[in-house]
Amino acid sequence: MSALTFSLNTSVKQAVNCKKLTPDSLQGKSLADILAIKLNEQLKVADVFAVQGDDATTLVFKHATSQLNYIGYRMKTGNIIIEGDTGDFIGAEMQGGTLICKGNTGERTGDTMRRGLLLIEGNVGNYCASNMRAGTLGILGNTGAYLGYGMKRGTLLLSQPPAAQATWLDCGLHTLPFLNILYQSFQTLDSQFAQLSCMRVRRWVGDISGLGKAEMLVLQA
Amino acid sequence: MKLNGVQIDDTFAEAFNMRGTRVLITAQNLKWAYNAANAMTGFATSVIGCGVEAGIERELSEEETPDGRPGVSILMFAMGSKVLMQQLETRMGQCILTCPTAAAFSGIESEDQISLGKNLRYFGDGNQISKLLPNAKGENQRYWRIPVMDGEFLTQETTGMVRAIGGGNFLVLGQSQPQVLAACEAAIEAMKKLPNVVMPFPGGVVRSGSKVGSKYPKMFASTNDAFCPTLKGVVKSELSDDIESVMEIVIDGLSFEDIALSMKIGIEAACALGTENGIKRISAGNYGGKLGPHLFKLHDIVNGNLSGAAK
Repeated sequence: MSALTFSLNTSVKQAVNCKKLTPDSLQGKSLADILAIKLNEQLKVADVFAVQGDDATTLVFKHATSQLNYIGYRMKTGNIIIEGDTGDFIGAEMQGGTLICKGNTGERTGDTMRRGLLLIEGNVGNYCASNMRAGTLGILGNTGAYLGYGMKRGTLLLSQPPAAQATWLDCGLHTLPFLNILYQSFQTLDSQFAQLSCMRVRRWVGDISGLGKAEMLVLQA
Repeated sequence: MKLNGVQIDDTFAEAFNMRGTRVLITAQNLKWAYNAANAMTGFATSVIGCGVEAGIERELSEEETPDGRPGVSILMFAMGSKVLMQQLETRMGQCILTCPTAAAFSGIESEDQISLGKNLRYFGDGNQISKLLPNAKGENQRYWRIPVMDGEFLTQETTGMVRAIGGGNFLVLGQSQPQVLAACEAAIEAMKKLPNVVMPFPGGVVRSGSKVGSKYPKMFASTNDAFCPTLKGVVKSELSDDIESVMEIVIDGLSFEDIALSMKIGIEAACALGTENGIKRISAGNYGGKLGPHLFKLHDIVNGNLSGAAK
């Protein structure tokens, strides 16, 4: 069994909605079934991707670009690995599993995420983690404006300091043993996140315009 | 039967079914892991008065603990699941939550899960944080992070509860109190190296073995007069003239084989001191085989038959 791999055709020029491509929704489907899935009004999977592999518990998107939106939308289980950049709403309303993006993501990454692990090795656009309910979202690159806008609970793990916001409160510098557990959960992943070992973080709590039970942990060099 | 000149009585220890659990306790260093574990397993010598019997099983290296810090594993046993759950929660709250830098994790897998930090989280007064993270096997485990004055108290939500056995034992009979204590100390040192068992009494040794019943109606157990050396002339004594002291080692463990092996290792270590050091006899405590479902026959155990079937 090899991971189900979606390689983006370079001929595709328009935005693609990938909502229907999650490990749980593709379980038990044949290759023909998958190729026939309608993504946009006029695009089927076969029009957008060359598909290989047979193990739907892990999906790999190759040659990904910012045309691809909604990857991992409402995913519940399994793994998604994105090689390249992506568009908006990556991991939106995610309910479980692990999603790793090795490039940059667009706006609203992890929007209304509820559970699971969403790891972005590159930069994220504006409104990342907006309205996030729970789960863990890690970002190794830079973050855009309005990070964690309306975020209720959950953890943002950041390697770069975010822009200051009035609705996020600085709780100071801390050494948290919990990070050992978090980093150990990264160890089996094919990701730069597996290299993390920094136990020292600055903790921000917000978004106090709402529930205010979410946290940003900013790794200290 | 004799071992190094020491008589092994043709008798048996009688043990009971219990429920057990294992908890891994970590801290900034071993000193504080022991402080937490000693508190957690304190006042846990006998279910008669303490609710649970508990002890430290062994030290854990940084590679063996979930959070990569040094720690110890403890085993805790009770006569029923309800008592075990209640005692575990109480002791977690008073001994681990309170101990600087300490954290607690599940140390045993089972379909039966009992609360470790599940209800302690409310100490966080709404500021507690739940994290659901995969372990090394890829199985999701729920942890709680509870803000406390030294930083953050980290605990796994639940730990496993398994069927276990309590009350394995043997008696060391000797010429003098210091000699018997020395033999028991040697036995405990050897037995502490084994996994899946704890010896819950102070230093692993108990000097007040009991019999069922008493002349006083309110007492359901009283001193084991047949083994009390100062009553040799008063009661129907089990002791010969040359026995001046008797001490007992009680073992709780996760399986019959675990307890039988620890008894064998302990008896051999005690007998290694030999008659020249005043060790005369090894015996065992039982209730005539009428109460406990597990019988540990001393001759079988010394002969290496550790898989005795339940009665």
